Amino acid sequence: MTSSTELKMTVYSSLFVALIAIGAFISIPIGPVPIVLQNMFVLLASIILGPLWGLASVAVYLVIGLAGLPVFAGGTSGIGKLFGPTGGYLLGYLPCVFITASISKGLGKKMSSDIIAMLIGSLIVYAAGVPWLKVVTSMTFQKALAVGMVPFLIGDALKILAAAFIAKTLRPVVKL
Amino acid sequence: MPKAIIDIKDLSFIFDDGFRGLNHISLSINQGEFIILAGKNGSGKTTFLRHLNGLLMPTSGTIRVNGLEISKHLIETRKTVGMVFQDPDTQMVGDTVFDEVAFGPENLKITRARIKEIVTKVLETLNLFHLKDRNPSTLSGGEKRKVAIAGILVMDPQVIVFDEPFSNLDYPGILQVLATIMDLHRAGQTVMIATHDIEPVIFEATRMIIMEKGSVKEDDVPLNLVGRLESYGVREPCFSKFGLEPQSWQK
Amino acid sequence: MAEITPFTYRPGDSILHLLDTRLKFFIISLVNISMLPAGFISTGFYFFMLLFFFKKTGLRFFSMLSNMKFFLILLVFVFLARAFTITGDTVFSSFGVTVSNQGLAEGGMVAFKFFLIMLTGIIFSATTKPSSVKTAVQWFLKPVPFVPEKRVAVMISLALCFMPVILRQAKEVSDAQKARCAHLQKNPIRKTIGIVLPLLKKTFLSADNLILAMESRCYSDDRTDPEFNPSGKERGFFFGSIAVSICLILF
Repeated sequence: MTSSTELKMTVYSSLFVALIAIGAFISIPIGPVPIVLQNMFVLLASIILGPLWGLASVAVYLVIGLAGLPVFAGGTSGIGKLFGPTGGYLLGYLPCVFITASISKGLGKKMSSDIIAMLIGSLIVYAAGVPWLKVVTSMTFQKALAVGMVPFLIGDALKILAAAFIAKTLRPVVKL
Repeated sequence: MPKAIIDIKDLSFIFDDGFRGLNHISLSINQGEFIILAGKNGSGKTTFLRHLNGLLMPTSGTIRVNGLEISKHLIETRKTVGMVFQDPDTQMVGDTVFDEVAFGPENLKITRARIKEIVTKVLETLNLFHLKDRNPSTLSGGEKRKVAIAGILVMDPQVIVFDEPFSNLDYPGILQVLATIMDLHRAGQTVMIATHDIEPVIFEATRMIIMEKGSVKEDDVPLNLVGRLESYGVREPCFSKFGLEPQSWQK
Repeated sequence: MAEITPFTYRPGDSILHLLDTRLKFFIISLVNISMLPAGFISTGFYFFMLLFFFKKTGLRFFSMLSNMKFFLILLVFVFLARAFTITGDTVFSSFGVTVSNQGLAEGGMVAFKFFLIMLTGIIFSATTKPSSVKTAVQWFLKPVPFVPEKRVAVMISLALCFMPVILRQAKEVSDAQKARCAHLQKNPIRKTIGIVLPLLKKTFLSADNLILAMESRCYSDDRTDPEFNPSGKERGFFFGSIAVSICLILF
């Protein structure tokens, strides 16, 4: 890797750090539940940046949130948020980005493979987030699922389809 | 004979897609000049500028900065030829004005104490010191450009190249940036400005180069070219349109 | 970031603003961990201490609470879940749920502790400049193997610079969409694409410009180290925080 592609990846990854951070706050009003863009940017980071740089952007995002910059949803930040009730989702982004990126790369960066990769990636986020929510709040497992997963599934499906299309159009522009 | 800082011989550049960006350009840039690089959009101005500090490498031909071939002396070149880009928002890397200006010296691994000294000096010269703790994104358009200039000036370049320094600025902003550029020139700085709006600078410039389709079409003292500009897609300054005497924009 | 969250940095010169950021990290981690086994008395004591510091930051307590609505609702959930599931001396029992004394007490404590940890974080964010967060992160990452801490610091700076740019561009895109009656678009996928795709194209273009600007300013990973400006009161706060956490653990 030449130094200038490395610089390019550094800047693009930082761009995704910013997008993921802002994605927690901007939403698209669709129906009663607005679509929050954060996890879509995590998925896009994986498909566009690849496993290592995708992981780097999520890790840097978590580090600045952990370090107290107000980049987590709800405007709160720091160690309390990361280990609070919704911390599992945030930590789940780490395996999510790596696995999604690896699958998308392994299957050849086609639209269909991107969709499969993102589906698996989204499930990983819930696999980390829901049990965490259950333990921290001592809810029952059914309740944790009902509160922490079911309401978001339709939105997630929409986001994955949109993201697959966006990635397809963006790849030639980004030239990675 | 003035000293040539940048010496360009038969420079051509062809993009990846086969488009010919620059066509056999030969010229030199001398110490103390104030050059306008004019031409309509797509005439090759930006492509040309990017060769001056090694952001693009020639397909054929050579560029020497102070006698050194730039492809082999990138860091030297980039210290000698500073470049101020068009959109200040997308060239800011620091979250305070001070950090933003300190970015270049930090890359050169200058000591912290020395960085403090030179950044402070540049901020004071450009009258920006009172803004040093502000976030650059909260400044006015003119102030942002000045911060961008400070970030280049702090590297102590011999030539400063501006790409469209007046775009998207209001009138006070243009005057502010113009005054800064003029002060630099008077202090002996060599300046090159790429623009399609030559009105604010034509009176001050010592030389004007006009490009079209990647070639240099004219290279002369600005006032000699007035009257022929519009054939190259460059708007004539008002004084020539209305048959008046040229007048400085500077108050 | 100012528009999206009320918990951003507020410039000021209180002792909390001046304290070395690395020490603030240390204190927060220490206190948050010692909070886990803390009893009622010391937690209450800590709450009043926080209120005292909170006043110093100049934030308004109730406006902050209203901005934390979502989080507070979650805390109510946490409280209820504990109150219903922990068994002990029954307070009341109807519709098949039993609420015990112990459940109420424990649920209340857990929710209260989460709230205090949050409050600590808010005070930290309000009194710490993002750029000093960055340098402190860099300092803590230095001993961590395989992590290029200087590059991480540059990424943090860049991300902080991108945020206002992205927000501005997001607003432009959404206005442009509104002007073309995008609200009539009912297909949620098209709607999402219609906003996100232009936004990403724009931001990647900005990123490309930034890459050029950084290259022309000699970007290098091997940079001047950051510096820290301790206020001189670090020692007192260091021992103070240890005393507080001992109290939290014991009482």
